[in-house]
Amino acid sequence: MRKQKYKVWSEKVAKWYLTLLLLFIVLLVSIVITVGMGAVAIPYDRILSMIIDKVGEAIRSGSIEPFSAQSLSSEENIFFNIRLPRVIFGVLVGIALAVAGGVMQGVFKNPMADPFILGISTGSAVGAIIGMTLFASLGPGMRPLLAFLGGVLTIFIVFNIARVGGKIAIDTLLLAGIAFGYFLYSLEWLLLIVVTDSPHEILSWLIGYLGNAQWEDVRYAVAPVLLGTFLTFMFARDLNAMLLGDETAHYLGIGVERVKKILLILASLITAITVAFCGIIGFVGLIIPHITRLIVGPDHRILLPSSALFGAIFVIWTDTLARTLLAPSEIPVGVITPLFGAPLFIYLLVTRRKT
Amino acid sequence: MTELEVRGVDVYYGDLRIIKDFTFKSDKGEFIAIIGPNGSGKTTLIKAMGRLLKPKVGVVLIDQTEIFSLHQKEFAKSVAAVPQDTQIDFEFKAIDIVIMGRNPHLGRLQMETVEDEKIARDAMEMTGSLDLMNRPIGELSGGERQRVIIARALAQQPRILLLDEPTSHLDINYQIETMELLKSLSEEGLIVIAAIHDLNLAAQYCDRLIMLRSGEAVAIGKPDAVLTADRIRETFRCDVIVKRHPLTNAYYVAPLPKKRNSIQKSMIRVHLVCGGGSGASMMHELQNKGFQVSVGVLNILDTDYEVAEGLGIEVIADAPFSPISEESHQANLRMIERANAVIVAPVAFGFGNVKNLDACSFALTLGKRVFLMNEALNRDNDFTNGIAVDKLSKLLEMGAEVVEDLKEIAWDYL
Repeated sequence: MRKQKYKVWSEKVAKWYLTLLLLFIVLLVSIVITVGMGAVAIPYDRILSMIIDKVGEAIRSGSIEPFSAQSLSSEENIFFNIRLPRVIFGVLVGIALAVAGGVMQGVFKNPMADPFILGISTGSAVGAIIGMTLFASLGPGMRPLLAFLGGVLTIFIVFNIARVGGKIAIDTLLLAGIAFGYFLYSLEWLLLIVVTDSPHEILSWLIGYLGNAQWEDVRYAVAPVLLGTFLTFMFARDLNAMLLGDETAHYLGIGVERVKKILLILASLITAITVAFCGIIGFVGLIIPHITRLIVGPDHRILLPSSALFGAIFVIWTDTLARTLLAPSEIPVGVITPLFGAPLFIYLLVTRRKT
Repeated sequence: MTELEVRGVDVYYGDLRIIKDFTFKSDKGEFIAIIGPNGSGKTTLIKAMGRLLKPKVGVVLIDQTEIFSLHQKEFAKSVAAVPQDTQIDFEFKAIDIVIMGRNPHLGRLQMETVEDEKIARDAMEMTGSLDLMNRPIGELSGGERQRVIIARALAQQPRILLLDEPTSHLDINYQIETMELLKSLSEEGLIVIAAIHDLNLAAQYCDRLIMLRSGEAVAIGKPDAVLTADRIRETFRCDVIVKRHPLTNAYYVAPLPKKRNSIQKSMIRVHLVCGGGSGASMMHELQNKGFQVSVGVLNILDTDYEVAEGLGIEVIADAPFSPISEESHQANLRMIERANAVIVAPVAFGFGNVKNLDACSFALTLGKRVFLMNEALNRDNDFTNGIAVDKLSKLLEMGAEVVEDLKEIAWDYL
């Protein structure tokens, strides 16, 4: 009898695992479905036989040679080298942006924080443009590296503008983010016009487009995004405590200022990686943690991993929408996400003002 | 046994020296209140002990160890705190909040165990908030939320509990509940240190008081030693009386009204016959009109005597529980000679004070006006087998007037 009394917590944890398992299954199913969708539709039995054929071939030959463009039919090529990396990169982008948004909402104790709204995405874009133009000679790594520096610099500038006497006023934070974002936006365009000969090529990337994603990009992005995401999970309990106020968090044994800095750097890192490879996809970090919080509650230990999975699902489906809606022409996914995000932001603005 | 020591501490906000050379020690479970006016440094002192502010001079030690040399989590295992603002916007359940108190005991990726849940539940049981376990924290009332927050602090299993104004936003019933809880925790060995606004709550529940004035400890010690009228006057800049309350046996402090200079001083003198608290409100009212008030004859220790003393009213009084002496009676008559009017409060008359009615008839013979409050004529107030009633009716025959309220008296025509 007494033993049963104390089962609330373990039941809760079991529920968490179940939620994550469910979301993971939905993600896998989503990947399989969306990979077949696009300008060229690939039936699922074809996908299955292609995978079995090619993976079998690769195992027998002991190399990845069977996946090179020369040894693939055009359908196989679309599947393995265009569609699949695009969907996988969509998964990474969804994870990164949703987690970055969730972390920022926790750090700033406000559901309106988002890497795009606070200017991090634009800051990263400026960094990435510099990396792919002025410093292009130093290698392809400069693009994500400078995107990261741009993002971190932006968040600390915005953070310090908004901090008055050790406290962050959320309206000042949002205004500072939006205003500084506009400044960066100008900078971005100046760079595009002054430094590059073909702004259109860069523009198609900048607006948030997953169609350029290649396996090489996935290889660059996968480690920082997954590692960065996992590291933020380690601070989930700290984020919970910080929701009770910085002072309370301090008394619960948390080095509040240090944790905030680490988390903002991690959030900037994972945001910057996505921006470096596929431009600015706004509002994912606003929408996903918000909806996830309504479903799983405010505890970051379930909120952050669920947001990651839900974000991945959301991005691959919106990207599928983007490439099928006006097929054969494509809409960049960065054009689609604000259609969902901006109304939610306005809704939050209005309801918050009422309370 | 835990030992908390604050040794010669100076705390600054920027260039401002807030806490000045503060030294204090506690080595057993006790309930200590920090009292002092706004801006005297109560919160700052709490923050210095809670490692939120580092002293520029001096050290805070727990069991001989300087607190800033401890790891953050180690410190949180010893010291828990309830900060001033306990508003929580996010939709956590009460139990979630309390379980967060286990944070210092858990590793970064460690999950709470059944044991942690038990500790959290026990803490809620202790603060009487177990029923609230599954309620969202945002829906709780101020008092309920405070109990949950204290339970969270207890779930840390600290040896020292700091609280900044734990009762200031609470209704009186929750104030008492909170103070009782903190008291019982201190009796179980916890060092409880709270900044408390209300001197009476502090006096009633705390073992020791620390009185601060502009960051300096004016006094540290037992409530009766710390709370003297003089010290409170100097520290809080207001006049008070300090008394031991007969029911609670605790010292209590009551403010005396500031002497108002704006009141137009009147030349009218009014003498009041009262006792047992019947005249207190009238004394205030008459004094507020600017009249010069006198009272007599009373017993020392009578409530009205204390009020008169406190208000600085001339009073003729005899020793406790003794009948009016001839000497006092004569003094009373001298007082009445100087008065323009005499008022009889609804006081109970016994053989001890019935002589005051003779003084009233003396006033009438001098042509002074005498007003009897209607209630004074109530037979239930007569404990002299009718003597007082007889004297009162005689007063009426002689021209005494009956009034319901002081407002009925046309003072300008006296």
